[in-house]
Amino acid sequence: MRRPPPEITWWTRLRDWLDAPQPIERLALARIVLPLVLLSFQASRLVHADHWLSPVGFRVPYLGGSDWRQPLYIPPVPPGLAWAIAIVTVVTGLSLSAGLFSRAAGGLFAALLAYLALADRLEAFTVSKLGPMLALALCLAPSGARYGVDAWLRRRRNPEAPVPTHVRGGVIRFFQIFLCAMYSGAGIAKLRGDWLSGDVLWSHLHDNYQTWISWALARAVPGWGWQALQYLSLAFEVLAPLWFALRWTRPYAVIAGLGMHALIGLMFGPVIWFAILMSTLLVSCYLPERWLLRLFRRAAPAAAIA
Amino acid sequence: MPPAKPTRDGRVIAEPWLPRRARRIVMVLAGLYALFVWMDAAGLNLPDKILPLPMRFFLQEAALFPDAARDSIEYRAEGWRCDVERFEEIDVRSFFPIQRDDKESRFYRAMFFHRRQRPVLEALDQFIVAQQNHAHPEARIGGVMLLSLRIPIPPPGTPEGRYQRLPLTDYPQEVERKYWYVTSSKERTRRCEELAAP
Repeated sequence: MRRPPPEITWWTRLRDWLDAPQPIERLALARIVLPLVLLSFQASRLVHADHWLSPVGFRVPYLGGSDWRQPLYIPPVPPGLAWAIAIVTVVTGLSLSAGLFSRAAGGLFAALLAYLALADRLEAFTVSKLGPMLALALCLAPSGARYGVDAWLRRRRNPEAPVPTHVRGGVIRFFQIFLCAMYSGAGIAKLRGDWLSGDVLWSHLHDNYQTWISWALARAVPGWGWQALQYLSLAFEVLAPLWFALRWTRPYAVIAGLGMHALIGLMFGPVIWFAILMSTLLVSCYLPERWLLRLFRRAAPAAAIA
Repeated sequence: MPPAKPTRDGRVIAEPWLPRRARRIVMVLAGLYALFVWMDAAGLNLPDKILPLPMRFFLQEAALFPDAARDSIEYRAEGWRCDVERFEEIDVRSFFPIQRDDKESRFYRAMFFHRRQRPVLEALDQFIVAQQNHAHPEARIGGVMLLSLRIPIPPPGTPEGRYQRLPLTDYPQEVERKYWYVTSSKERTRRCEELAAP
């Protein structure tokens, strides 16, 4: 007697969508690039680890435990330990990027990034807060399954083993949903702020974040041009879930997102690392598969590049 | 890591190392995380009500630059020179070497977050005085004034010069100065006497 086909419900549809295999290149790209971007962002801090984490630099005193400006008070560490933390952070980040001991490196990197974000509010920015979550996601996924040292070693031990071409969709789906949540939330925050009525973009071009590009653009672009850019960003961000959900708008949304991040990165000095981080997620999650495979110089899904 | 499994359509799937049940739990937590990030930015304060501060901190990441800047803000310090007995601007950038020239400097961030919190400003006062007296023994100070400059932003489309950091004395009158902290006169005298003692 044949078993009846399983009932299709919204739950099974959701589960199938979440589990649907994704090209492994999406995960590999995220694993290779994201740790490097996170380390690059932290580089200017890591080279002054003693000023950052130890009493050599200025430290905000304990504020009583319920102050939003100090989410958790972590006392300063001795300078030697601060340097050790910096070195281990760099080593684990590079190891994760190279796909060497990916799981352990990813876990330790995530824990260290979380510590660095909480240890000192003065040096915690959006990238600092995103870092632990991204590293943890890479740790929990089979991110070392291909295009890395772990994969190369496995292939040397067992050349006959099939080379993975796909991963279970979970982690990629999470990144995709997260990006939409991030854009849409950012758009709504802007709607609730001054983006409909104020000259927000223009107003942020004049301080010490200014680059020569933002200065040149401030001179060249007329006032209404900044307003137009503002509305374009707003429309992209607020409706991001729609742009990325629809198959035919998705490639244009990727291009629009990359354009927006390129402008942000070029116009606001240190914000460039945030822009590169978001661009990497965007490309990893939503770049059409054909383009993604070309990026990895893989013509067919079954080709065997370890 | 579990071995990759070939499927009937020729794909080879790399299996996650987490057991299925743990994967489900992680997926639910990941979904809640994305939802809470969105809620925080969208102004729905459920995460604020149910999560402890250190966890909320990691959710506050999407609401970026929602408001227009009214003015361009710069934070500066003046030191009380023990030898000439007056306040003069001191360049504190070398005491805060991380991102020393922009808004991500620790001095700027400390002033941005804590300019109304006296215990932090007192700690900042002690730190700057110690650093200045160590780095410039010829120009010792007994205290500081911590202030912000509000530099007006021109109307959109106005051509202007490239940003440059100017000495305090070069800013015109229309640039408003707001003093957030001054070391008390008694404390300045005490420190200067201590420094003068053999």
